Amino acid sequence: MKTRCQALLGTFVEISVDQDEHLSAIAKAFATIKLVQDLMSFHNPLSELNAINQRSHLSPITIHPWTAQILHIAHEIYAQSSGLFNCGIGHRLVAAGLLPQHLDLAQYQFGGIEDIKFITPKLMTSSKPICLDLGGIAKGFAVDQAVEVLRLNGVESGCVNAGGDLRVFGSSPRPVHIRNPKSLGQLIEIGSIQNGAIATSSLYFSKRDRKHSHIINPLAKSDSDIHADFSESFSIVANQCVYADALTKVFALSKNDEHPCFNHFSAQAIRIAA
Amino acid sequence: MMSIPIIAQAKIYASVEQAQKILFPKKQLSKSPILITDDLQERMRQASSIRHPFQGDRIWKTADGAWLIVDEVVGKHEMITYAVGMSSNGSILGIEILEYVESYGYEVAEEQWRKQFIGKSATDPIKLNQDIQNISGATLSCKHLTDGVKRVTVLFEAALKAK
Repeated sequence: MKTRCQALLGTFVEISVDQDEHLSAIAKAFATIKLVQDLMSFHNPLSELNAINQRSHLSPITIHPWTAQILHIAHEIYAQSSGLFNCGIGHRLVAAGLLPQHLDLAQYQFGGIEDIKFITPKLMTSSKPICLDLGGIAKGFAVDQAVEVLRLNGVESGCVNAGGDLRVFGSSPRPVHIRNPKSLGQLIEIGSIQNGAIATSSLYFSKRDRKHSHIINPLAKSDSDIHADFSESFSIVANQCVYADALTKVFALSKNDEHPCFNHFSAQAIRIAA
Repeated sequence: MMSIPIIAQAKIYASVEQAQKILFPKKQLSKSPILITDDLQERMRQASSIRHPFQGDRIWKTADGAWLIVDEVVGKHEMITYAVGMSSNGSILGIEILEYVESYGYEVAEEQWRKQFIGKSATDPIKLNQDIQNISGATLSCKHLTDGVKRVTVLFEAALKAK
């Protein structure tokens, strides 16, 4: 088994393959994740995401097929979760100092993912100013794209893990641990995953580093409800990492392990109490 | 007195030799250590807010003037050893993580924390969970690493560029 690690998407990304001869495939998979980062980073003022945030309400904008794809998935999860998952919460994270400020927030009344329209498959526009942040979904999306590239380059089995959002593919199952929210150095073995993904949302690192909660409730009625606060952890097992990643937010906000959208996306919920 | 157990995970991804092959495939590198003066040490500290001293003995150079620098960053709970490949004009060609060590339940000064691991390998008697590969959890930030790369770029400007 060969494992490499690079810092991407603001976290540590590990790519592990079962056969040692696939080193060039690993390099291509890292390059794929780098492309997702370049397109979808909120931090990089020149990313395609920031072009969407700055201009899509003024005139239609042509975007990369992957950006179009992730926006479609984000919209699908928005609709299935009755609005509990909405990428249009970037301004909340900016206001809390969790993301850099590229726009003067006071000038705008922001809409959400529901205000995006596609004119052609790659040409999109927005009926309102939007401040999208893909932080709740892009890591999972990047993991899936990396798995695709590994497979296309002949890798039969392996694992891609972006800071805790991971996907196992191929014939060999791999044991998976979840961090114990009660004690971060302890790990709980939850079994093995074969051809599946898992992602986890929790606030233990935010709390440790004394930061605002990055889990934003898009349906908040008052200012005090915007940042969700909890101490347990919420994991989702799904076929693809993009769904696992995004649905952890639905789980963390609803605290309902039988939320109807989990069934829709063939996902399972695991809550670990703290 | 009871000693507090160290709960740690260590992952060794690549050796320096492997990192050389990843960052500079098919190129010969020669070791090119730099004496780090107090003044340079201070400039690197200011640029990166990393306190522990940079070691100048893990620097290599290619025949065409590119550099490979190995450094580590130490947070309160983690230590990351990494390699940076830089072209002769200082642009970053790639960054590879060599080792990741995490430890909890152990409130110690940074220097002591670090000393536990210096020169350790997976076979040392410290309790390191090397078999645990796939951990799902909240995202770990790589901010410390970003600070580390900042100090390496300061090193380039101050000491490597002119060589």
